Amino acid sequence: MIGGEMPSFTEDRPRAGGALLGFLAERLPADARVLIAGPHDDALIDALAARFPVTCLVRSQPEAIALDARGLRVLCGSLAKLTGDDQYDAVVALDGLGRLCSVEGPQLDWAECLRALHHALHPGGTLLLAVENELGLHRLVDLGSATAARTDSDWSPLGEFGSKPGNADRLAAHLTTEGLTVGWLGAAWPVPEAPTLIATAEALRDGPAGVLSALTASAAARAYAGKEVLSDPRRLAAAAVRDGLGLELAAAWLVVAHREPGPAAAPDLPPVLIGDGPVIELRSGDDGPWTRRVLREVPGRDVSGLNGPLPAGRLLEELLLAACLRHDLPIVRRLLTGWASAQPGAAADNVVVDQDTYAILDPSVPPPTDVIRRFAQTLLGGGYAHPWPAATDLPTLTAILHGAAGLPSPDEQVPAVDTLPASRREQEEQIRALRRQLADAESRAQRFERELVKKDKELRKARMQIATFSGSVGFRVAKLGMGVARKARNRLRKGLS
Amino acid sequence: MHHANHFYGHAHILAEYCGLDPEQPPRIDGYVQHGWNVVDGLGLGTPYVPGRPIFVYSERTRRRAWSMGRRQATVIGAPFLYLLALRPEAAEAPAREGTIYYPFHGWEQQKVLGDHQRQVDEILETEAGPVTFCLYWNEYRDDQVRTAYEQYGRVVCHGYRGRQWLDTDRHFLDKQLTELRRHKRVASNRLSSAIFHGVAAGCEPAVYGDPMQLDREDAPTAARIRRDWPELHGKHLDPEAARASALAELGEGFVASPAELRAMLGWTEHFSKATARVPA
Repeated sequence: MIGGEMPSFTEDRPRAGGALLGFLAERLPADARVLIAGPHDDALIDALAARFPVTCLVRSQPEAIALDARGLRVLCGSLAKLTGDDQYDAVVALDGLGRLCSVEGPQLDWAECLRALHHALHPGGTLLLAVENELGLHRLVDLGSATAARTDSDWSPLGEFGSKPGNADRLAAHLTTEGLTVGWLGAAWPVPEAPTLIATAEALRDGPAGVLSALTASAAARAYAGKEVLSDPRRLAAAAVRDGLGLELAAAWLVVAHREPGPAAAPDLPPVLIGDGPVIELRSGDDGPWTRRVLREVPGRDVSGLNGPLPAGRLLEELLLAACLRHDLPIVRRLLTGWASAQPGAAADNVVVDQDTYAILDPSVPPPTDVIRRFAQTLLGGGYAHPWPAATDLPTLTAILHGAAGLPSPDEQVPAVDTLPASRREQEEQIRALRRQLADAESRAQRFERELVKKDKELRKARMQIATFSGSVGFRVAKLGMGVARKARNRLRKGLS
Repeated sequence: MHHANHFYGHAHILAEYCGLDPEQPPRIDGYVQHGWNVVDGLGLGTPYVPGRPIFVYSERTRRRAWSMGRRQATVIGAPFLYLLALRPEAAEAPAREGTIYYPFHGWEQQKVLGDHQRQVDEILETEAGPVTFCLYWNEYRDDQVRTAYEQYGRVVCHGYRGRQWLDTDRHFLDKQLTELRRHKRVASNRLSSAIFHGVAAGCEPAVYGDPMQLDREDAPTAARIRRDWPELHGKHLDPEAARASALAELGEGFVASPAELRAMLGWTEHFSKATARVPA
């Protein structure tokens, strides 16, 4: 207990963790004494504790007790109580600096927290820090606002009103001013607490933008599968990376910085790291093409297919969507037939196209069923304009796409599986589409009714003519007489009453 | 859906292309553009049923239709292109000769006003080879008009386009194709479907002479057509530019496969089985 501990509080938001953050933390210099500042995932703490002498700083007392019970050295309390007496070779703050102060005592802002951690480092020590981007993808698609206080830990929810640096350049500049040397900086996608793709500024600037954007979109798809969001995170992630905003719209920035004097060698980290269990690196080859290598495997996941050259090109799904939006049917058909002949089993969001080469982006993803129907669902669900605007239902559009791809008619029995992010904007688009269809149906119904009235009239007339001209002459005369007599009688009756 | 779908045997050609019975084309789930026009693809006065597709010739027409509020325009290319796919030109086809000229026709309710004699003189002056005049059915049936043209060349008629699903000459376009393939040049005094079909059938196009006026016609539209397609107006045109422009208007490159077309027109089993269509 160092003071400021919170006896009845446990952190109510996910702790920093995941394969990639763990991998980064494990790259700290061997035998370093490590301070893990703030709430981190148990697996990450255990992995670090297996390699280094570890001390944990947490504000929640119940959590401190649990950590202590696992045999770890724990400082329980507020960062403000940390004195510079106890110094470490490395400080790991992958949860950011927002959960280091407790409700008791001074409420340090971002810069003050950084200074406190800086002072906890030995000269030459390493700081591994995560800084959440308040304008990152995860914020942009979030249904909730970061400034709304909702849970027990939100006693001062600052969101974008906080004082932390708002972009990677300012972050690096701040660290330099603070006396720390930035050795490495990476953009973390798609969520800050457990990123599954980390890329350096250089990789985002000079790397294969098409494939990196496809990989970022896949990472977003996995992180947000089935979750309620404002808008589709896959498109936002892909567009950001493709158009050079990969660093600016990342969920967080990760830095490895050193207290002066810095160590001789900065950690050798690959330009791009990917993984939500297994860890994969991407590096640029000496003669141009990028390669992919599995750094860490996990049982039960076959990722051996990932070793080798990284396929080039752009995501098929995006090319198809773009061609559909342009109403460029020849291109849409060429992509569909190319896909159907080269990679018929892979979903459109797992195929990259380079000229006429269709390659699977991630061979470790199990092939889904009915990939064309899934794409039809993407078109309709996303409210995308496409060349067949009258095909407003899934079976019709699927049948058309099958035809355009040169595939036999689809099997009607396959139920559509919905594992896509549930985006509000798309739902809004669907409601609009349904309203339009309803209005169209309404006006069609009215038109048919008018037609029916017209046809009924014609039918009555025709029947009358048939009746008039059928039968013997005597019968027809009698019938005509009866008709006239009936009319006369009716007229008389009306006149009398 | 609408009787215009059967004009010129369009529905019949599409059915044949889809491998269905051309004598009994199934009902089309929408409207097929029945001739080249500079509006939304539908004929003037076609009562449009909302929510149903208009199957238009070209992307340009689709964009125009969209801007006019038609949200369901779908590009399939001209039915004439489907006919060409069904009837490839024979390798040993006889040599082409002369010009087929389409004097701009009115239709049942709009008659053409203009100096017909001067027009014929100009045609004979311009065209080197024999000239075939192709008349619209109402002019062809008019003995006076027909005999007037017969003094100057062969006179043909491709048939009646049909009305209210009745009397459609379903071989209209077939007859037109056969005639076009006999000629080197196709000409008219107005840019029209016939010129585009002629280009697709391998003729050199020409549009010249008094454009004539339709009774109660919208004159600015005719002027707009001349402004927007200058490469298709004149007696002797740059053949490559004219061909590219004409084929783009017919939607070359947008022709769908039989399977895709069946699905677009609502000719798949899914539709015949479906009792109600639930939107996605």
